[in-house]
Amino acid sequence: MKKVLIVDDEPHLRLLYETDLRRAGFETMTAANAEQGLEFVETMHPDLVILDIRMAGMDGVEALQRILDRDNTIPVVLNTAYSSYRENFLTWAADAYITKSSDTTELVNTVKELLAENTVQS
Amino acid sequence: MSSLQPFRKTLTIILAGGQGERLYPLTKDRSKPAVPFGGVYRIIDFTLSNCINSGLKRIYVFTQYKSYSLDKHLQRGWNIFSYEAGEFLYRIPPQHRVGMKWYEGTADAVYHNIYLLERNKPDQVLILSGDHIYKMDYGAMLAFHLAGQAPLTLAAAVVPREGAHHFGILEVDENWQVVGFAEKPAEPRTLPGNPDHCLVNMGVYLFDTESLVREVCHDARSMDSSHDFGRDIIPTMVPRGLVRAYTFSEAESRRPSYWRDIGTLDSYYAASMDLVSRHPSIDLYDRDWPIRAWRVPAPPAKSVQGVTEDGSMPGEIHDSIVGGGTVVSGARVERSILGSFVRVNSYSRVTESILMDGVQVGRRAVLHRVIVDKNVIIPPGTSIGRDPVRDRSLFKVTGGGIVVIPKEMTLQE
Repeated sequence: MKKVLIVDDEPHLRLLYETDLRRAGFETMTAANAEQGLEFVETMHPDLVILDIRMAGMDGVEALQRILDRDNTIPVVLNTAYSSYRENFLTWAADAYITKSSDTTELVNTVKELLAENTVQS
Repeated sequence: MSSLQPFRKTLTIILAGGQGERLYPLTKDRSKPAVPFGGVYRIIDFTLSNCINSGLKRIYVFTQYKSYSLDKHLQRGWNIFSYEAGEFLYRIPPQHRVGMKWYEGTADAVYHNIYLLERNKPDQVLILSGDHIYKMDYGAMLAFHLAGQAPLTLAAAVVPREGAHHFGILEVDENWQVVGFAEKPAEPRTLPGNPDHCLVNMGVYLFDTESLVREVCHDARSMDSSHDFGRDIIPTMVPRGLVRAYTFSEAESRRPSYWRDIGTLDSYYAASMDLVSRHPSIDLYDRDWPIRAWRVPAPPAKSVQGVTEDGSMPGEIHDSIVGGGTVVSGARVERSILGSFVRVNSYSRVTESILMDGVQVGRRAVLHRVIVDKNVIIPPGTSIGRDPVRDRSLFKVTGGGIVVIPKEMTLQE
């Protein structure tokens, strides 16, 4: 089963994404901030990371770069309430950019697509 | 929009981190762009002068290996920008913003510095190499780029077929769209109707910024990539029809313009000797396209009669370039390049050689086809360049037979 790491500082959103991704057939793990997320990338080797941008401490933009520095093959989905980051060049190395919504259909579908692509490639 | 707007909205990146191992030992203590050239210049002065003369004054110089010499040169020689007016030249060593690695290739260097593109948000980014010798108006290339639709324009030089295999070979259609690209092929494809010449990639890239960011981000995620513009980025953009070529030639005659990638000690020597020919391929005396350099405050060069216990001898300089503060005293210098504060003493003979700053040549020494790096003291009576077997036992000698003496090397009397 593919493992998805959810990095988000809002507990109710972590719960929402966990629930819907598990329902879609993924194993999940969560981190409440970017620092913890980076640690989990190294120790738990997720197959994909969902990354919030605005978080206390390190933000998701910096975390994205650090994740890719450790492993440039791991798909990263930026998931944020702010569409303005889409124009920030520092986010362009992400595999997908999603504006947060209570409807997780787009997020779940994106995860499915990216992990299917990754499976085909590997 | 004012006519200056495209220049202000164009950011220039000069890649100056190359190790230049094939120029060793001239790169023993400095990166390739910092290697002295033409008596008073460093190689990077040509690219920087092109920028200034083209009106491009927003410049980042990416450094990496052995950057002290280059840093010092840029600080002393190129502190000419009006920061208040939005001009700048900043040296950018690896910031380790993205990770703790060094730049793995030219595209990786840009990827590591996307932060700078985000801060500046230029419309175009001009990417240049800091180790080429040429005079080029990037403004004409910018106009060509803006008139076309392709997100990348690269500059292309027409070069003789022999030697073209060191470069990326281009094929273009009638609209200058690049339709074929082969990086350093064994059998380079020649120009249609011109079997002696090839069209090569000069490593001068003008990108629409968004395209550049997209390409380097995509490349950074690729496991198979060496993260290099020539080897990786361009070959993937050409099949998608995203690349046009701007031919670097003289505006009126359309003859190919002079351009040299100083790749080896022999090509460095040949480009240097060209400067002391009667009609050099690159005119350093063109006041419409000045090549700037940092000049050590120095008195004028002079040649004087040398007087010794054996009599006197005139100081003679023929077909040579001589830097400030240099004295040729009772010696003969022919077809050579002497930097600043060089001293050549009585009864010595220096021919077809390059003597960098501070070299001292003792009496009755003979130097023929020798590159002497800075501050070397040639003891009296030394002969170098006349006995290949002996030279090879003591010094680096190139395939072309040029002897190279490293900076500050101590020679036995």
